[in-house]
Parts: sequence; structure tokens; C-alpha cells
Amino acid sequence: MNELKQICKDALTEKKARFIIGYKEDKNKRVKPFIAKTPEDAEKLTFSHHAVNNLAVYLSRFKNNIDGKIGIVVKSCDLKAVTALIQENQIKRDDLFIIGVNCSGVVLDVAKEFNKDNTQIKCKYCQAKTPPYYDALAEESKEFEMPDDDQAELMAKIDKMTAEERLEFWNAEFEKCIKCYACRQVCPMCYCEKCIVEKSEPQWIDSSSTSRGNFSWNIIRAFHQAGRCIGCHECERACPMGIPLTLLTRKMGMVAFSEFGYRHGTSLTEPTLIGTYSTSDKEDFIK
Amino acid sequence: MEELIISNDNLKKIVHELLNNDCRVIGTTAENKFKEIESADELVLNPGSVPTGSSFKEYFFPKTEPLFFYKQNHSNVDLFDPIPDKSKIVVLGAKPCDAAALPIISKVFNWDYKDDLFNSRLDNSLIIGMSCHYSDEFCFCNDIGGSPENMKGSDVFLKPLADNYFKVTSITPKGEAFIKEYQKYFEKDLGKNKPIERKVENPKHFDYDKVKTWLDNNFENKFWDTAGEMCLGCAQCAFVCPTCHCFDIIDEQNGSCAGRRAKNWDACQFSLFTKHASGHNPRDNQEKRYRQRISHKFKYYMDKFDEVLCTGCGRCSRGCPVSLDILQVVEEINSLPENSNSIQ
Repeated sequence: MNELKQICKDALTEKKARFIIGYKEDKNKRVKPFIAKTPEDAEKLTFSHHAVNNLAVYLSRFKNNIDGKIGIVVKSCDLKAVTALIQENQIKRDDLFIIGVNCSGVVLDVAKEFNKDNTQIKCKYCQAKTPPYYDALAEESKEFEMPDDDQAELMAKIDKMTAEERLEFWNAEFEKCIKCYACRQVCPMCYCEKCIVEKSEPQWIDSSSTSRGNFSWNIIRAFHQAGRCIGCHECERACPMGIPLTLLTRKMGMVAFSEFGYRHGTSLTEPTLIGTYSTSDKEDFIK
Repeated sequence: MEELIISNDNLKKIVHELLNNDCRVIGTTAENKFKEIESADELVLNPGSVPTGSSFKEYFFPKTEPLFFYKQNHSNVDLFDPIPDKSKIVVLGAKPCDAAALPIISKVFNWDYKDDLFNSRLDNSLIIGMSCHYSDEFCFCNDIGGSPENMKGSDVFLKPLADNYFKVTSITPKGEAFIKEYQKYFEKDLGKNKPIERKVENPKHFDYDKVKTWLDNNFENKFWDTAGEMCLGCAQCAFVCPTCHCFDIIDEQNGSCAGRRAKNWDACQFSLFTKHASGHNPRDNQEKRYRQRISHKFKYYMDKFDEVLCTGCGRCSRGCPVSLDILQVVEEINSLPENSNSIQ
């Protein structure tokens, strides 16, 4: 029995966690989210390059109705979402039993093997293969040579565009949107009980999937992620229409860092960028 | 009627003529997507390709469409009908699991209220289906009455032959008229071009009647507590599905004192879908919403319209962000005892 299964089995047996949100492999070898409720269930838990999901998205669903700690299996990128949820007072550290896993990258296309050409963008610039904190750690740390961060090149290209060219670029991308809201539903930071797009009195955003409705939805979602997105790239992975959503969220994360020296989801104690202010904050955006 | 064949080149010539005659041609492209093509060269017919990410239903039931426009005129409100889209639509290269969806959803759009918007598009369309040489772990057309050579929903049906030829079968009067109109491009089948053999098998996964009986008797069953447990409640499955047809009707302002009433895609996995004005939500968790999805597809639609609301294309499962696999769920139901008294 491997380490992850043993850790989870022990945690469930010793009631360190009420249940564990982890991954299992189905009969078609697809690795998918799974909740282990009993020590026997823990036998099904697994981790691999195909464990793409950020399971922190499930925390908001369970936070209010559980007696005992929630166990959760996290890669280092996913842990940022857990940290961010703690920072944003959505969940308490003490209510979690965190099982960190060493990760050497996850696949882009779940139907194919993990290799240089099948690696998620986020892995190409990932700084931490081991989660910075945890209650238990599983999986061996493996070195894997990552391909170049090609998204950075595309971002530089978009930066160089004129405002009109950028508008044209994004209009063409958002035109594809079908408003299935997969981007929102997979996002651990999209935990609002009522999304702005659902507010109809008054209607803030057109709910129709027109050019205007699509543009306002995608831009508002991006704005709501400014300084909050932790970079798990789940939105882009989930988008059935292939819209490169992380170009926006990653860019805003970069701006939050360059302008305010802040990266969300990296400290349990630091106040959030949006939730605080400093007298030394720049005000040059007010003209 | 004599047996006909057509070359891929001649098919493209027909597409060229159709485009010149202001016909909208929906076809599969090199990226394996359905798209309104602008030139015949864009068309790529590949019977061996995986079903496209999205079905072509949007060309019959768009993701958003106006029902009417309104404008305030002093103390009155003027209403304007949208300009009806009467253009001819030809869909080329529909897989059997795509083409079969149109007659299925046509039943709900003609049940009591006749949906003119849907009907006029369907009436003005011609569906050229093509047999399918693909199968993967998500495909299950043959479990629910379909097959890789099922002609349901097609007006003309193509089967691939050697040397870039297709065997042509006309199925409906519309199909016959089409072949007659473009007869110079069709050739008599002299049997020279051998059919291309299908290299993949479609295994049998479940017994639909058994699944239906279980669904008839197990609205309350602990199976539902876990079946949809990991569902995140997005609408990827519904929006890429060729048979999901739910819609919302909303009023949308555009400028002052003017706007439109629109019909937009909606989905049963959204929590808002069943939320009442009172605030009460009869499907107040994802487990109940997932039960609805499965039951609507495999039970309610059969009860009401004598059709399974699914063609087994597998799109919903291929694209699900949490890899929820509808086939595996139905297979699990198939393996449950018929009257399991496991109500919790």
C-alpha cells in the first residue's frame, strides 16, 4: 500500500478527518475527484500526473455542515487556494486536515500521457513542487524538466498590442463563450452564494450569450479575480470553448505583484490585497 | 432507385454552389469543430474523428435569440418581431449521434406550443449525415437504439468508400430533391470503390429497459447521494449536448426605454434553474440536480415522448471538468437490483 492511501486510511481511522476529498481512478483510468468517507474508501485514493483538479473548490460546499475536520489532498498550487480561502475567512485552518502531495507536474490533456508536450502552463513556472505546509505529506518528490513558459511569450505579445488590437483579440475569444459558467464553478475563489451575473434586480450583466453579455461576464469575472486568483488554471482547463482565460488572471496576478508586492494564497497571516490598504499604496491610477 | 456515389471533390463543388446560393453550410473543419464555413476548402469530412467538442444544435437552437424587441413610445410600448432567418441551412458530415438529436428535440419544441423559431430553421435545413468510424470509452450510441450507421435525422447519408468517395443514400423527400438538384455531381455506383471497413467495435454496456425500470422505481434511493456528489454544477454537459434543450426567457435592456426579450440556453445543473420567486428551491443540492439530469434523459423524456433524451455521443463526459462519466453512471444503475429497498 502506498503512502497516500496509508496516511488517509489512518486519518479516517483516527478521526483526524471526517472525510477526505481526494482523487480516485475510474475504470477507464480517468483520475477524478472522490470523497473517501471510510478507511475502506481510502484504498481507492490515488495521485498521479493526471490528478488535475483543484479540490479546494469543494471546500466552500462543505464548510458549514460538517462535524469534524475536512481532509483534503492538495498539490502546492491547490494549497494556495486553501490558504486564500483561509485568508478570506471562508474556512478555518483548524477545520482542515491537509494532505500535501509532492507534485512534478500535471497533464494538459487528461486522455494522454504526461510528457513535455502535455504539461499544464502553470507547471512550467511552478516554484514549489512540495506544498509549503501540510498536516501530512505523501508522494515522492520527482524532478522533471519543464518545457519553456510559452504563455509568458504570448502575454508579452498581448502587452505590446494597442488597446484596439487587444479589444479585437479578446472580442474574438469571448465570442466563443457559451455561458456555461464552468470557469466559475471550478474556481475555488468563486464562492459567492449569489454571483453578480445572477443578480437581476437590477440586471448588472446581460445574462445572454451575446457579444456584450459575454464580454461583460468574462471581464467582470477577471476583475473579481484581481489580486485573488491563485493561478490553478482550472478555469481555462474547464472551458469547453478553449478560451485562454488565464491570460487575464495571470496578468492581474503579475500586476498585483509588481505594483503591491503581493501574491494571494501564499501567507496565512498576511492581510489580503483587496481587504486592506496602505498609506504607501500608489494612487497614480487616480487621474 | 439506382445506387449513387460521390467524390469528396464533387461534394466540395456542391458546397461551393450552395455558398454561392446564399445557403448557410455548417460543416466540420480541420480543427474538428462544427462551424459555418465560408469556403468549400474549409470542410474536412473524417468519419474516424472523435465527435466535435460541441454539437451543431446552436444552428437550430441558438445560445441566445431574440423573441421580440420593445421600445417605449411615450406612454405606450411598441413591440417589434425579430426579422426571421429564412436562410437555408445545410449540415454536412453530421455523425449519427448528432443527426439523431434533431428529431428527438423536435418533439419537445412541437409538444403543445409550436416553436416557430426552431421549426423554421429545421424546415429550411438539409442534414447530410455520415457513418461513424470512431468509438471510445465514452461512446454508447448502440446501447440506446442508435448505431454508427444510424440514419435517423439525416436527409442524405454518406458512407466512406475507397479513394475519397462516399456512397450516397437519400432518406427523405428533401434528400431526394437535393440529389436531383445537384445530380451532375453524383455518379452511378459501379462497385469499383470498396467500402472502408470500420475498424473499431462498439461494445454493449447496459440494458436500457433495465435502467428505465430502475429509474421508474427509485426516485428516492441512496444511489443518488453519491452519483452526482462531485458535480460542480456548471453547464458544460448541457451546452455541448445535442439533445439538451432547456432555455430561460429574460428581458434585457439596451439603451434607455428599449430592449429585447431573449431566449437563452439554460441548464438543470444550475442551482438557479429551479429556484422559485419565493426563495424555495425544490432541487436544493447538486445530488438532486444530477438525479434530474439522468432521469430526464433516460426516464421522463421516454415517458412523455417515447425517446431517450441522449444519443450516446459522450460529449458531456469527455468535457466534464470533474470527469463525471454519464455512461459509468448509467452502467452503475444497470448493475443495481431492480427494486433495491435502500432508501435512507
